[in-house]
Amino acid sequence: MTATTAPAPAASATARSRADEPTGTVVLENVTKRFGTAVAVDNITLHVEPGEFLSLLGPSGCGKTTTLRMLAGFEQPDEGSIRISGQDVLGIPPYKRNVNTVFQAYALFPHLTIAENVAYGLQQTKVPKAEIRTRVADALDMVRMRTFADRKPQQLSGGQQQRIALARALVNRPSVLLLDEPLGALDRQLREEMQLELKLLQSRVGISFIFVTHDQHEALSMSDRIAIMREGRIEQLADADTIYGAPTNAYVAGFIGQQNFFEATAKDATTATSAVGPVTTASANPAVHAGDAIVAAVRPEFVQLAAPSGDKKAPGRANVFDGTILSSSHLGETVQFLIDLGNDVSVQARLPTPSAPRLSEGDRATVTFSPDSVQFFPSESTAPQHDQNKE
Amino acid sequence: MPKLRLPKATLALPAWVWLLAFFAAPVGLIIWYSFGYKPSIFGTHANDILSLDRYAEALSPTFFSTFSNTLWVGVVGTLACLIIGMPVAYWMAVKVPVAKRGLLIAAIMIPFWTNFLVRTIGWQIILAPQGWLSQGLQAVGILDGPLEILYSRSAVLIGVIYNYLPLMILPLFVAFDRVGEPLREASKDLGAGRLQTFLRVTIPLARPGIIAGLLLVYIPLMGDYITATVLGGAKGNMAGQLVAAQFQSAQNWALGSAMAVILILTILLSAAVLGLIIWLATLPFRSHYRLRLGAEA
Repeated sequence: MTATTAPAPAASATARSRADEPTGTVVLENVTKRFGTAVAVDNITLHVEPGEFLSLLGPSGCGKTTTLRMLAGFEQPDEGSIRISGQDVLGIPPYKRNVNTVFQAYALFPHLTIAENVAYGLQQTKVPKAEIRTRVADALDMVRMRTFADRKPQQLSGGQQQRIALARALVNRPSVLLLDEPLGALDRQLREEMQLELKLLQSRVGISFIFVTHDQHEALSMSDRIAIMREGRIEQLADADTIYGAPTNAYVAGFIGQQNFFEATAKDATTATSAVGPVTTASANPAVHAGDAIVAAVRPEFVQLAAPSGDKKAPGRANVFDGTILSSSHLGETVQFLIDLGNDVSVQARLPTPSAPRLSEGDRATVTFSPDSVQFFPSESTAPQHDQNKE
Repeated sequence: MPKLRLPKATLALPAWVWLLAFFAAPVGLIIWYSFGYKPSIFGTHANDILSLDRYAEALSPTFFSTFSNTLWVGVVGTLACLIIGMPVAYWMAVKVPVAKRGLLIAAIMIPFWTNFLVRTIGWQIILAPQGWLSQGLQAVGILDGPLEILYSRSAVLIGVIYNYLPLMILPLFVAFDRVGEPLREASKDLGAGRLQTFLRVTIPLARPGIIAGLLLVYIPLMGDYITATVLGGAKGNMAGQLVAAQFQSAQNWALGSAMAVILILTILLSAAVLGLIIWLATLPFRSHYRLRLGAEA
């Protein structure tokens, strides 16, 4: 299954194709797409390696689906260029691109059987009938749906239809597979199963996957790299560890996982004054200058919580605050606390159940966190938002 | 106390009564009359002697040519409506933005606000040898003499296409619209060009609408006698006119009934035959893409 064929139209394309971009490479350069006056995709540049699992993650309306549709050929960019496997695909219709899509609502043909659905793509090319049979059977085996071959799509459950949509796309051995929120319609347990299956399948077939989702868990669990999108731009493009541990701005920091944000004013690159006291970070952000309005971010799992030490000097020290427990809830392996620090500032803490202090609503507590776990970002309102993607 | 439970079919009782009284009974009566005869110049029908003589009479060369003419106008007219209506319906359902569709549907429906007869007479004026169309065609040099099309089969064909086209467009539009953009996109994504997508996705999924459109045009068109009366004259006669004439002028209800029964049978049979021909003609195309893997795992 790993063998992939290069796109057929060779003679006319050689002038524009690039040898340094092997099959499965996807390159978007300064791509912009407008619908009327609305900018759906705003000057995106993205480079997908062959065999990579890349997720486009963002809320609805961030341009991720438009980006995918431009790769599939359903939309044409207004500006910029798109190359797939080194070939410029501008103006090339969807049916001539060596990419296939798994659609959000599966879009299986209701008048065809499962086998005929899977065979549809192969029947468009001049694949011999006998080969179509074996390849369809193999593809159905791959998604463990062989026994359903002669049924109609509407006789299948959502998860089964999803597998057929996957088989229908992969049977054509595309150089790139595009997935448009393919797991969105499934219930949680099935979705988690399919995430695992999809990741295994991807490493087996070795095809580049570009996966559009608004679900951060989905993106984190499957992707080699994640592009976080907002308002048509890529805010950050990195692997899951980097996105989680070193977000480039407050938006990414807040979008992935949970965050406590403290509004503060920077004294210098590593210290700032918030409404409840000084905060300090171990990693200076070059975008933060003295006097800037900033947000200091710390994740709930890095917040330490203890009964008040009685140390009168404690408040006033950086990253140490006294507060009152507003609520505590048991989540199984963790306990989650919400602590009021006064001045309309509250902070969330999530501690492993064995080490969580026995504090309940109304108790006084001391909140601390290490400078290593704190990150400074320019306040969103003052942050120059365009710098990230402009050349 | 046990409640009285009426069968659910009771809900349809008014409809059944209506159908029985005003459809089944009259059709039965027509069939019954068709085996009778016209007893005298003053009587309309008598059934004391039953025979198939009226059928023989109705199919005699005098009337047979009218039946074959009706069939020709019916088949050609319906196919013309399909060929003209399909691109219009497809364009409306696929290419036109949703916001503008209502306007187009209204534009198609507007002619229905005018009386059928008046609209047909309108064509009489247009197609007349001294009408503006004739004069215009002569002025630009396409025709040497006046347009000689009124009171012919061609005029009837133009009239029925005009009158029945909306009945074709509307069901086709609904059918094409229901196929939906996602399936067309999926087809193109899988390598099918525009024609393949149309033949393998749009047409098969729109089939119920296409059949509905064909029947909706074909059946009333075959029984239409207003268009033929206004535009056809002697050369463009249709079976509906024969039936009407037997009942209204000749006062020969038996013969009129036999003609009506023949017309009904012609419609049913020809529709079945046409359906079979289309089914057989498309069989190779459909079986080419058929794929059964069987249940072996």
